[in-house]
Amino acid sequence: MTRQDAIARFGTLAGGIAVFVGFSIASENFLTLANQLTILRQVSFLLILALGFTFALITSELDLSFANVASLCGVITGGLIHFGYNPILAIAAGLAAGVAFGALNGILVTRVKIPSLITTLATASVARGLAFMATDGVAWVGRWDQSFVWLGRGRLLGLPVLVIWSAILAVIAWFVVAQTRFGVWLTATGEADEAARLAGIPIRRMKLWGLTLSGLFAGISAILLTASLSSAGPTAAGDFLMSGIAAVLLGMTMFTPGKPNMPGTLVGALVIGVLSNGLVLIGAPYYVQDIALGIIILGSVAISASTLGKAAFGI
Amino acid sequence: MSGEPILELRGLAKRYGAVDALRGVDLTVARGETLAICGDNGAGKSTLIRIISGAQPPSAGEIRLKGRTVHFASPADALQQGVATIYQDLALAPRMAIYQNVFMGSELLRRSPVPGLKLLDKPAMRQAAKGYLGRLKIRLEDMDIAVNTLSGGQRQAVAIARALRWQADIVIMDEPTAALGVKETRQVLDLIHEIKGQGITVLLISHNMRDVVEVADRAAIMKGGTKVADLAVPGMTPEGLAALIMGDG
Ligand SMILES: Nc1ncnc2c1ncn2[C@@H]1O[C@H](COP(=O)(O)OP(=O)(O)O)[C@@H](O)[C@H]1O
Ligand SMILES: [Mg+2]
Repeated sequence: MTRQDAIARFGTLAGGIAVFVGFSIASENFLTLANQLTILRQVSFLLILALGFTFALITSELDLSFANVASLCGVITGGLIHFGYNPILAIAAGLAAGVAFGALNGILVTRVKIPSLITTLATASVARGLAFMATDGVAWVGRWDQSFVWLGRGRLLGLPVLVIWSAILAVIAWFVVAQTRFGVWLTATGEADEAARLAGIPIRRMKLWGLTLSGLFAGISAILLTASLSSAGPTAAGDFLMSGIAAVLLGMTMFTPGKPNMPGTLVGALVIGVLSNGLVLIGAPYYVQDIALGIIILGSVAISASTLGKAAFGI
Repeated sequence: MSGEPILELRGLAKRYGAVDALRGVDLTVARGETLAICGDNGAGKSTLIRIISGAQPPSAGEIRLKGRTVHFASPADALQQGVATIYQDLALAPRMAIYQNVFMGSELLRRSPVPGLKLLDKPAMRQAAKGYLGRLKIRLEDMDIAVNTLSGGQRQAVAIARALRWQADIVIMDEPTAALGVKETRQVLDLIHEIKGQGITVLLISHNMRDVVEVADRAAIMKGGTKVADLAVPGMTPEGLAALIMGDG
């Protein structure tokens, strides 16, 4: 590996570590165990959403609906819990809503041939509308079934369960992409759809899968978020849109530069989690975070312009 | 012509709206033969190749492969039945590894401790990819490097290695040297010699009569959607062939 290669692959990681060290020095509350676990807990929702978005982006499709779809899934699961339904049913309904939206996106993109940028912008709006319709615009809060709440607040082996769930999902996502034929087919579809088609890979089905997995992960994240908050509001996951995208784009500047990849997404989400937390601890005003996210998105895309050129402007 | 026919075309025709791109082409290709398909622009060469490669169905006529009538649903279907088409760079994923390109769509799998779950057998694919490239006299050590770091000739070799992986009986190349410089053209001609040497049938479209004279056993000359001549190449000169194409047929 040349020096340039090393910088391209690990430069962002080094930058993230520098940010981490910087906050450790700037704030005495940053490096405590409690705060580190808080960061990991907060990152888990973001990470799971970003893993899903990565699946879609690997097939060269965008999913701008994942945050609003997650809010809707949270409303569905949370609503059913709130009104006393069986938690298993509530969870299944939330996951089903995520999968349904993901599959709808996939069908609109691959069959109706509406570019994913437009499709998912539109379905994001639909999901948001449905979430407001279901809740009348307010959040349901309550003393919910404890087994359900445990999914978001429990501890296992001394760790918050959220950290365990998100770590398991990250490993599964990495494994599927890197070690299975399904993953190579997703990658080949995104990298060179014509070549993949000529080689017999069902590219429309792979894109449908990419977007459907994004919906599924949105559903999973939503359920954990709802359990962790013990409440379900129509915009609960809305803020994760920008940070989720930023995590994935930041991840694309790592390990396999220019390509969406699961380890990159993991580190990208961690960096953004550290940044959000650290900015609060050093007393930066809330709006600094939005500005930072915007700069991260622009900087990352500038670094890996090639792939993103294809995904974002392929309309 | 010698040997048993591997491919027979009977009355192959293709209409695009009002255009008769092919008007009933009969062609027989022997196993192991290298057949050049020549003709001026618009003669119907690419249309013929698109039909044989499974990219398009004929409007009329029959394709017989190894004595059996076949209908190709897609290029992937044709590939499965032993007809591989080398599409310049189009069929490669430039940023993916050599071995991933060779095995694209037909990855080697291995068992895993989890019943029913099969995983990519990357070591086997790397080794086999190296073997296929070795058969083409291409020596590359690292099968993990991206195809876009290779030369034009090496890239064609990767595409041909994929055909070898499918154990293709017939390899089709449409103007493989058209976009290449002198050195890379040389590499591609060498590759064609190598696949000929393995007993694989080659269908080659080319405008370059020197290439045709160098590698082809036989040339079919097309004009206006029909085959106007079918002749043995050895003994012909590039000028003689060119005159046939330009002449009245
Ligand atoms: N997709 C198409 N639609 C309409 N006409 C076509 C199409 N493809 C080829 N043709 C016509 O068919 C004829 C043969 O074309 P082609 O097979 O590309 O010839 P060649 O490869 O020998 O130059 C030409 O007149 C061309 O204009
Ligand atoms: Mg042509």
